[in-house]
Amino acid sequence: MTIASMKGIVKRYKNQIVLDYIDLEIHEGEIVGLLGPNGAGKTTLIHGLMGIIPIDQGTIHLFGEGGKVFHNKNKEKMGLVTQDLTVFHELTAKENLEFFAGVYGLKGEDKKKRVQEALAFVGLSSKAKQSPNKFSGGMMRRLNIACALTHRPKFLVMDEPTVGIDPQSRNHILEAVKKLRDQGTTILYTTHYMEEVQAIASRVVIMDQGQIITAGSVEELTKNIQHEEKILIDVNDVTNVPIPRLEKLDGVKRIHMQGSTIQIISSVGAGNLDRVLSIVKETTGVVGIQTEKPNLEDVFLTLTGKQLRDGEDERE
Amino acid sequence: MRELVTIRFIGLRMSRDWLTMLLLLVIPIVLVTVFSIVLGDAPGSDTLLRNETVVLLVLAFQLFGGAVTMNYVHGDLFSEYKYRLRSLPMNTTLYAFTIMLAGILYSIVLGAILIGYTTFIWDVNWGNFAWSMLVITLMSALSSILCLVFTFSVRNFKIAERISEIYGVGLILLAGMFFPMPDNSLIHGFNEYVNPITLAYSSIDNMRSGLTTEAIVDSGLLFGIIVLVSIALFLIGRRRMP
Repeated sequence: MTIASMKGIVKRYKNQIVLDYIDLEIHEGEIVGLLGPNGAGKTTLIHGLMGIIPIDQGTIHLFGEGGKVFHNKNKEKMGLVTQDLTVFHELTAKENLEFFAGVYGLKGEDKKKRVQEALAFVGLSSKAKQSPNKFSGGMMRRLNIACALTHRPKFLVMDEPTVGIDPQSRNHILEAVKKLRDQGTTILYTTHYMEEVQAIASRVVIMDQGQIITAGSVEELTKNIQHEEKILIDVNDVTNVPIPRLEKLDGVKRIHMQGSTIQIISSVGAGNLDRVLSIVKETTGVVGIQTEKPNLEDVFLTLTGKQLRDGEDERE
Repeated sequence: MRELVTIRFIGLRMSRDWLTMLLLLVIPIVLVTVFSIVLGDAPGSDTLLRNETVVLLVLAFQLFGGAVTMNYVHGDLFSEYKYRLRSLPMNTTLYAFTIMLAGILYSIVLGAILIGYTTFIWDVNWGNFAWSMLVITLMSALSSILCLVFTFSVRNFKIAERISEIYGVGLILLAGMFFPMPDNSLIHGFNEYVNPITLAYSSIDNMRSGLTTEAIVDSGLLFGIIVLVSIALFLIGRRRMP
C-alpha cells in the first residue's frame, strides 16, 4: 500500500523555487531516508507532505486518498518529529506526552498506558516527572520523539532527529527507529548524515537544490559507482601537496581535501597508489593511508560535485 | 473539541512561568503593601485614599495580563512550536481561543488573589466582591483580546509587545494615575466613556457607593468595548491564523 504519494510538487518562496517538481512515493513498512545538505528542501518537502505549509503546485495522496487529504482523520495517523526541540519546558516529560496524547483524542486508561509506553520506548520512564529543563540534549531529543509516538502513528516523519547529540543518544534513536519499523510504522527520515541513512533506510532519496537527484536502496545507489575507489591519505601539511600533478595521473577522477586528509577518487584497477604516494611524499610527510569502498557521500559527490556537509561544523 | 483538552496544560505552563508570576503578582503585592503602609488611613475624595489607590493599582495590572496570552499564541502558533502544533489534528483557531481562555482565567485568578490579599491584609474596601470579580473578568478579557489584535495586526512580534505596553502605560497615564491630566474635555470624555481603567474603577466605586445603575452602565461600556475589540480580532485573526 502507498502511504504517501507526491506528484509534481512545487513550492516557491517569492522568486526562489524551494521544491522543484518533486515526485515521491512512500510505501507501507519502509524507512525512506531523505538525504541532502542543509537548504536542499528536505524540511519544506515534509512540511508540505504534512499539510503544515501549502504547496504551490502538484498533488498529494495520503493513505490512498486524494483531494483534501489534510483532515483530522489522516493527521491522526501521522506523527511529526520536528527538527527543533518542540517540547514544553514548563511541563514534565509525562505532561508533555499527555498534552499530545490528548490532542490525538486519547483518553483515560488508554492515554495513561500509551504515555507510559512512549516513555519506556525512549528510555525516559524514570524521568517522567522531571522537567525537560533538567534533561541533556540527547534526552530532550528522545522526549521530542516520544511526543510523536503516543498515538502510534502509521506514518512517522522524522526531521533530522539526531542533530547536535552525542553518539550514544544517536544510537539509541536509530535503534528506536528500527524498532518502530519492525512494529509496522512507515518512516520518512530526513538527515544530512549519510551514515544514519546507510544504517537504517530501506530506500534512500537524495535531494539537492529542491530536486530529487536520485533514489534507490543503498546497494543500488552505490553500485553505480562501484568502479571507483577512494584513497585517503593523511599528511603533515596539505598546503604543499601538488594537486594538479595528482589530477593528471591516469584514473584519478576527483580530489578533495578534508582537514589534513587528501581524498582521491580513482578508477578501480588504475593501480596508481604507488605513484600517488611518491608524489605526495616529495612535498610532505605521510601520516596514514587507507582505501574505502564508495558510500552515499560519494554518490552525492559524484552527482552534485559537492559534499553533503560542505561548510558545516562536524557533528559532536 | 479536543482543543479544549489542552487548557489544563496551558494553565500549568502559565502557572509555572515564574517571571510572569513575578511581574503580575509579586510586583503588585509589593506595590500594594508599600502604598498601604504609606497611605495609612488618609482620607480620599469619598473613601479612604488607600481604597482608591489600591483598587486602581490592581485594575491597572489587569491591563498587562493580556501579555501572557499574546506570548503563548505567538510562541505556539507562530514561532518555535508552530510546525509541531500545526501538524496535529486540531483546529488552530480553536487552539488559539483555548490559549486566550486560559490566559483570561489565569489573569482572573491573579486578580482574585490580589483582591483577597488587599481585603484581608490591608482592609481595602472593594464593595461587592462578586461585582469586583466581574469587573476584573471584563478587564482580563479586554486585555487578552486586545493583545491578540496587536499580535495579529503587527507582523513583528517585538513591536506588537511594545504596543501592548504602550497601551497599558498610556491608559494609566490618561487615567491620571501618575500625575493629574490637563483639564481637557477630550481627555475627560475618553476617561468617562472609553478608558477601561477608569470605567472599571468607576464601576467598582459606584457599586461600593450603592449606585447600582451607574455601576452597570460603566461595566456595560466596558463590555461594549470588548465586543468591538472582539469583532476586530475576528476580522484580523481570520487573515493571520494558519
